Amino acid sequence: MAAISIAGLTVRFGDVLAVDDLSVDIEDGEFVSIVGPSGCGKTTVLNILTGLVGSTQGRVSLLGKAPVLGNPDVAYMLARDSLLPWRSALENASYGMEIRGVDQASRHARARELLRRVGLAGFEQHYPKMLSHGMRQRCALARTFCLDSPVMLMDEPFGALDAQTKLQLEDLLLQLWTEHRRTVVFITHDLAEAVALSDRVLVMSARPGRVVADMRIALPRPRSVRALQKDRHFLDIYAEVWARLEEGLGSTAPAASAQGEAVE
Amino acid sequence: MKQGAFRIAMPHVIFIVVFLGLWEITMRREWLPETFFGSPSGIAAYLWNGFVTTGKLWLDLGYTVLGTLISFLLGSASALALGLCFVMFPKLERACDPYLTMLNAMPRFALAPLFLLWFGLGLGSKVAVGTSLSFFIVLANTVAGVRGVSADLLVLSRALGATPRQIFFKVTLPSAVPVIFSGLRLALVYSMLGVVGAEIIAAEHGLGQTLAYLQSSFDMNGVMGLLLLLACLGMLVTLGMTRLERALLKWQ
Repeated sequence: MAAISIAGLTVRFGDVLAVDDLSVDIEDGEFVSIVGPSGCGKTTVLNILTGLVGSTQGRVSLLGKAPVLGNPDVAYMLARDSLLPWRSALENASYGMEIRGVDQASRHARARELLRRVGLAGFEQHYPKMLSHGMRQRCALARTFCLDSPVMLMDEPFGALDAQTKLQLEDLLLQLWTEHRRTVVFITHDLAEAVALSDRVLVMSARPGRVVADMRIALPRPRSVRALQKDRHFLDIYAEVWARLEEGLGSTAPAASAQGEAVE
Repeated sequence: MKQGAFRIAMPHVIFIVVFLGLWEITMRREWLPETFFGSPSGIAAYLWNGFVTTGKLWLDLGYTVLGTLISFLLGSASALALGLCFVMFPKLERACDPYLTMLNAMPRFALAPLFLLWFGLGLGSKVAVGTSLSFFIVLANTVAGVRGVSADLLVLSRALGATPRQIFFKVTLPSAVPVIFSGLRLALVYSMLGVVGAEIIAAEHGLGQTLAYLQSSFDMNGVMGLLLLLACLGMLVTLGMTRLERALLKWQ
């Protein structure tokens, strides 16, 4: 059974058709990226899975259940770190577990372990203001992996970082994901990031959002995103996905070809 | 450290000494009438007499400080409570808003004669004026602080499964604290202004009452002395609040 199953999903905001008849199945433990120009409805799809937005038409199921807000099966991560500024790194990393009723001793032990894994050992008592952007997002990553949820939904988690920090965090994400295997839905507008991280890349067209390409990424794991940057095979696959993306955008939405350039 | 503090304080000390010296000389040479301006030596003599020789000023100071503290506590506690009610029940806020706006627009010192009639010449009337000022400041800041909570934090907390109660105590309230605090700091200063203002209009005891008396009897050394005292009191109050804020809000 698929971990996530979406069939005929259509979402309207007033007169605007945001997502048009989207269908996709995501296997258990699969790392799937959804790429597309801004405004293509990729965040909407994610918000439907988290239960933040109610679906208007179609069938969506997550581990066999309808999505619901606060589902303990789901861990959620945003582009902005969303750390509570009045809490230390340790208290922030424990925040999700605290909400879900884990007792203090166990949540602190786990948060310490995850902070160490993301390279924030020694920064447990620092407030977010004292941390760099990259460190804050590491802390948010620790908070996300502290949860036992089998499904992780990530909305452009590295979108606001500089290129170097982004590479480091992508590698960190892959390491953590290898250790704590989860089903991941990863939203991004960065095609290279999607190809480097994922088992599968779904390309969405500009509004109304449709899947115009669904590609398996046949790169061996474990991967190093940093090393992949110069890997011929990676560059070939990247070019191929790029071509499929342009082709897909061209055939399904002629008017969107100009916006297609915004994908990169 | 010590060296640095000294270097910062030095220009101020020089400035103050020169200023007071010029003032004193101006009065001694009678370039300006001392009846209108007082003199540093006269002011010092007045304060010495008031605090040390007779000790009479302690009572007035005590009344003013006590009135200020009561106004501050009463005004901010009730404003905090009402502000949180407003956030929980937006309909209540909409219903109350026009009345509160109207009340807040009223010049508080014009109400002082009424308060005097209702609450007498003791602590009651000055506390009423002080409270009527501090209340509105804290109310506005409480509502603004709670409204200003970051949408990202709310979205994340909801997605994690936080209950409304958890969201309120773990996200909304702590994020509102800095804004509420700046309201409290202002409210403390305004409580003092209200209290002194009410005392000037009429009171049994208090720095404001003494100030009005000295003014009407043309004792400029006394007036200047009390103004200096009030300014120092205000500074002390602000400094105390800033210290407290820094200790409580280390994360900022």
